[in-house]
Amino acid sequence: MHGLKNKRVLITGGAGGIGFEMARRFLAEGARVAILDRDPLACQRAKESLPALSGILLADVSDETEVARAFDELDALFGGLDVLINNAGISIRHAFLDITADEWRSVINVNLNGVFYVAQQAARRMWAGSGGVILNMGSTNGLTGYPYYADYNASKAGVIELTRSMALELGPKVRVNAVCPGFIMTPMQEAEYTPEMRRAFEAKVPLQRLGKPEDVAALFAFLASDEAAFITGQAFVIDGGEIAGGLASQA
Amino acid sequence: MDTLKNKVALITGGASGIGRATAILFAQEGAAVVIADIDAEAGQAVVKEIEAAGGRALFTACDVTKAQDCQQAVEAAVAAFGGLDILFNNAGIIRRADVLTTTEAEWDRVMDVNVKSIFLMSKCAIPHMERRGGGAIINTSSGWGLKGGRNAVSYCASKGAVTNMTRAMAIDHGRQNIRVNAVCPGDTDTPTLRSEAKQLGQPENEFLTESAARPLGRYGRPEEIAEAVLFLASEAASYITGAALVVDGGGLA
Repeated sequence: MHGLKNKRVLITGGAGGIGFEMARRFLAEGARVAILDRDPLACQRAKESLPALSGILLADVSDETEVARAFDELDALFGGLDVLINNAGISIRHAFLDITADEWRSVINVNLNGVFYVAQQAARRMWAGSGGVILNMGSTNGLTGYPYYADYNASKAGVIELTRSMALELGPKVRVNAVCPGFIMTPMQEAEYTPEMRRAFEAKVPLQRLGKPEDVAALFAFLASDEAAFITGQAFVIDGGEIAGGLASQA
Repeated sequence: MDTLKNKVALITGGASGIGRATAILFAQEGAAVVIADIDAEAGQAVVKEIEAAGGRALFTACDVTKAQDCQQAVEAAVAAFGGLDILFNNAGIIRRADVLTTTEAEWDRVMDVNVKSIFLMSKCAIPHMERRGGGAIINTSSGWGLKGGRNAVSYCASKGAVTNMTRAMAIDHGRQNIRVNAVCPGDTDTPTLRSEAKQLGQPENEFLTESAARPLGRYGRPEEIAEAVLFLASEAASYITGAALVVDGGGLA
């Protein structure tokens, strides 16, 4: 990808899963990468696996004070920001009837409020500086209904609409897009699904497999690069064809 | 520079605009490129340009609305370069008119060039892709393949069809490891865009100013759409199928 060399990149939730894979990919593209994560152990492991990381910011995206402090650290580290990957997110598999108010709040706080806190900090710096790119992690669950993840789905639909609205206000200096992965096999997903559930799912996907974190990292790298210079305000699906036809196509 | 090394790509409407920019980019990235177009002079010129830069390319005269021409184009690609991996169904036309002012012949022509061509080319190409263990088909849709637009009813109908046939083809051919995606450009600086001003009876500079009214404050360049097509054609997009990649400077946001 063109134009990522020496770019200052921040990845939230960058210590594990798709975020970690993106850190690896952006480093391979020659970017300077800092990760922001709330899990100190995972951060330690990330630093050991990727010694080229420029910095590790320990913060919980759902806490606006912690986010503000992390950006003070980022200013000291990078003196600005070119690319934000707003990736941190959580999901809980539970029936709608059983969702507690605390669970609802925790999902919305991380997945939607956290995206807002981080995006606003980043966008203010990009707006005052020479522009930049903000990429938010959506989900196909934010585009179509899906059982047992009502809170997660609502948070991701919120992220997608936030993305469009930011693109309208922040153009032409800042490009803002969302990526909507389908079923990607991450540690978070592996903990939730049995092998039988996984096989049943693979059979429903036109490409007959689940996605890999590397697949998603490649799309983020493209959207962050100069090759996507005319792309803003969109939500891009990467799902092996899963929602191309919805349930009716999955017989 | 070798994203598409050893790949063979066929591009319809490759003699000008987005197709031409994509042909040049694909060749730079190592693909052998077959340009299928009705405009032999412009098509040959693109071939010369690619060859002068050290790339491999071939022109084949092709009216994409004719089954026999499509068959010949695919066969020419296979005969010259040994197979086919990528099909960019890009040929398209626009008629800027509403229902009342569009003639039946114009309607049929727009649907034939923009929609039927994809059916005909894909029908010929897919068996060859299957033989290679998979492939990638990219169809040129439009922002107006997702939302409606003014005075372009046949075009909007055709591009809506392209977006949805892309999804249907993705579902049908995923098992053969053939990925099918659409690229949805917004207004892009091509001969087609400039022809729209003429069709609407509007001064070109006024029309282009209106085209630039979007969050990024400008219309697109063909090279920018070509980059999106390259991404969809490449291994970097190996889990993307049935998707519509919008490249429109925020026009639809």
